[in-house]
Amino acid sequence: MSQATTTRTLTFSQAIREALREEMERDDRVFVWGEDVAVYGGIYGATAGLLEQFGPGRVIDTPISETMIVGAAVGAAITGLRPVAELQSSGYFGIAMDELYHKAARWRYMHGGVFTVPLVIRLPEGAKGAGPEHDVSPEALFLSASGAYVVIPSDPADALGLMKSAIRDDNPVLFFEHAGLYAYRGEVPAGDHLVPLGEAAVKREGSDVTVIAWSRMVGESLRAAEQLEAEGIDVEVVDPRGLRPLDLDTILESVAKTGRVVIAHEAPKTGGAGGEVAAIIAEEALEFLESPIIRVASADVPIPQSRYLQQFLIPTAASVTEAIRRLD
Amino acid sequence: MTAISPATLLELYESMVTMKLWDQTALRLLQEGRVLAGYHSGRGQEAIPAGGVAPLRRDDYLMYAHRGFGYTIAKGMSLAAMFGDLMANTAGATGGLGAGIPHFADPELGILGQGGTLGSCFGIATGAAFSAKYRGTDQVVVCFFGDGTANRGAFHESVNAAAAWKLPVVWICENNGYAVSVPVAESTAGRIVDRAAGYGMPGVRIDGMDVTEVYRATCEAVDRARAGEGPTLIEAMCHRFRGHYEGDPQVYRTDEETERLLALDPITNLAARLVADGIATEERLGELEVRVQDTIDRAVEVASSAPMPGPERLYEGLYV
Repeated sequence: MSQATTTRTLTFSQAIREALREEMERDDRVFVWGEDVAVYGGIYGATAGLLEQFGPGRVIDTPISETMIVGAAVGAAITGLRPVAELQSSGYFGIAMDELYHKAARWRYMHGGVFTVPLVIRLPEGAKGAGPEHDVSPEALFLSASGAYVVIPSDPADALGLMKSAIRDDNPVLFFEHAGLYAYRGEVPAGDHLVPLGEAAVKREGSDVTVIAWSRMVGESLRAAEQLEAEGIDVEVVDPRGLRPLDLDTILESVAKTGRVVIAHEAPKTGGAGGEVAAIIAEEALEFLESPIIRVASADVPIPQSRYLQQFLIPTAASVTEAIRRLD
Repeated sequence: MTAISPATLLELYESMVTMKLWDQTALRLLQEGRVLAGYHSGRGQEAIPAGGVAPLRRDDYLMYAHRGFGYTIAKGMSLAAMFGDLMANTAGATGGLGAGIPHFADPELGILGQGGTLGSCFGIATGAAFSAKYRGTDQVVVCFFGDGTANRGAFHESVNAAAAWKLPVVWICENNGYAVSVPVAESTAGRIVDRAAGYGMPGVRIDGMDVTEVYRATCEAVDRARAGEGPTLIEAMCHRFRGHYEGDPQVYRTDEETERLLALDPITNLAARLVADGIATEERLGELEVRVQDTIDRAVEVASSAPMPGPERLYEGLYV
């Protein structure tokens, strides 16, 4: 961890950009490519200014070709570079699924470990009024993509620290960024701020109930916890900061302490990663549970393009509060 | 057209003979039940891997196809390691993961491996070519694929980007007329080589049964790529003598067709030419064959002596 003495205030988007800038300054092998990442600076501004600093050789606008963006990033990674490739929306996962699931995740394994695949794929996710294909949070699809890490920051400090660690890691990393968080401001430690991959953060300590949440639902869960504090319910919020590596120790320790679990994510409940986390807790820590596990998630419908209708679908702090009140 | 030296012709011949004898040996091992993998024989198509890999340097990159093991043989891969993968034992390049679809690789030889999902070669070749350019080397990538694979969408995305960015890659399409069982005419609009014009790069259609044509076309394309002039598409027309895989009933073509093909054997045809041109005697070519078979037999011996992996092998090498 860094020896930060001061902090700076950055948006989530700026934090991603600072991580990219710092790692590109540190290591010539790091480059960035994707749709509109260079001149335009990325549709969420996360690569703004990098072209000016590093030039067109290292900040590259690609054609609208997600299969190539990911496949060629794998080719670059196994030949000595450290690509950071952006899919403009994680909803495009299907266009590049063979490359993500079979190539990025498995190239090293299936060739007997003779390569490393030091690759980061940035995947903006989450509801933002862009419709059922763009607004997905598909991280759970990659639970079975053994070989790839799945990393999901929930605030600017983690976005910066996890991105820097992801770039330095020799394994392929699928890096999910909730589009609704890009403008969210937070304090980020100054200096070389690294957050280790696979280490959960206890974002709030509490003794009555454990909320396991990631991405945008961490902030929602913290708001729920504040509200419930006034009612005398002491909520612990654990952010695994990703699904693989999964920090089971921190999760199980919290469950053992509180005996009650709510799992909150924005993806639909069925097929969401909450099911896997709940199963692990049931296998490993059932004896500590004083109440059934509750999952807070979107309903099993596509996310409509209407922001108006989205408000009835996407889980919020109120959904978490309501779930906690239902616990025995 | 530049002449190919007698020494190079003999090297190409030896390379093709190695592929043929490798193939025969692999088929024998298959019949003996010693191969724990499906096998896609490369018999008949040896001219393409031989002529398409010979122009490469050791540090150039290879994306190989699944039709025989000729590409990696030509790039210098350990024969014992490849037999080890066929037998799925620890002598294999994958250390025991085997070779249903061969996934052996050797970074030292620029052998970048192979995907089992057809068409994934295109993106990886594009990325390797980008990498060579980014690092300021003059390395070149050669990517082999079949006429069937040419119809994957990944072809367009990758070939377009490589051409737009003038990347050092040579696309070599082996058009053997069938995508498994489906004839090219039924599945493919236009000629594959004509796609090159659409991407603003040179395209050349050649006789893929003639190793000298393959060698010349590839040399030219490699030179262009190395000089920073971008990619080339080569469509090598060819025939596979056996089924798509061993056990393929080949209901999609007649016995007469497969028998007719034997007259086109690229190896016997080159042998006749070498003898006619006074480059080699039949005795010398016979000796060469004995020597190559001996090398292959020794590789089989080395591979056969290795143990099978234990269950712990499943968990090795997934993460760094």
